[in-house]
Amino acid sequence: MDEKQVGVLSCSGEECLGGTIARLATRKVMEVLRPDNVVTLCLPLYIAGGEEERDFAKTYPVISVDACDKCCAKRATIKYSGAVKDSLVLSDILGEDVVLSKIVSARDLKEEHYKMVDEAAEEICKRVDKILAE
Amino acid sequence: MSSIKVIACSGIGKAMGLMAREAALQVTDKLAPDVAETVCLAYIVTGDEDARNKVEDLNCITVDGCPAMCAAKSVEHAGGIVQAKYRVIDEMRSHKGVNAGTGTALTEDGWQIVDELAEKIAGKVAELIREDQSNG
Repeated sequence: MDEKQVGVLSCSGEECLGGTIARLATRKVMEVLRPDNVVTLCLPLYIAGGEEERDFAKTYPVISVDACDKCCAKRATIKYSGAVKDSLVLSDILGEDVVLSKIVSARDLKEEHYKMVDEAAEEICKRVDKILAE
Repeated sequence: MSSIKVIACSGIGKAMGLMAREAALQVTDKLAPDVAETVCLAYIVTGDEDARNKVEDLNCITVDGCPAMCAAKSVEHAGGIVQAKYRVIDEMRSHKGVNAGTGTALTEDGWQIVDELAEKIAGKVAELIREDQSNG
């Protein structure tokens, strides 16, 4: 029997730490924590891709994962693809000062940043599990 | 003189997306921080007026992982002047058989390719700055 799939879509913002954490947390959920139940999509494929990419939110219930309150992943999904089922804004759980930090490269991440990735991944998993239980 | 925008795809599915992201950050953070800056591609994708203002009619360099060219297409869509388009997949052709890592973490070889690409991008940034200065 096919497992139910949930789409998790990260902003991956390049200007701040939160984008790096959003990206890594999404990858951790996809690779390690819920590998059979989570799919993702490169967000800019909404513009560069085709109909299949723009149908992402119609094909899967989508959880958007944004670094900051600009909520680019959420708003781009709503604009190009359809409604989001749930959303996570990292500044809500990690604090705005933290997510807007200019430490962005994976080269510069320290243990404290990987703990933030774990915290964000746990929050994503809670939302994934809630959708899977419906 | 406005800074050169170096914008990466940050593709989440493959190592090449991470390599594009890291090469762009190496340029804007380390190699040319005074003359180059990055912009969140996701913000550009939203189509917000403020996001368009960050690239519209400005010199941009895009760094994509794969042939989908998400960064280049999105920046062009927002009105940016894309002066150069780099693709990690092209860099990988001269490193056949190399394991660069994954979309989560790069290997030492992967970082080496990132650094080589970043040097090329920084060279292009310097060229664009020189052109801008000579045009007054």
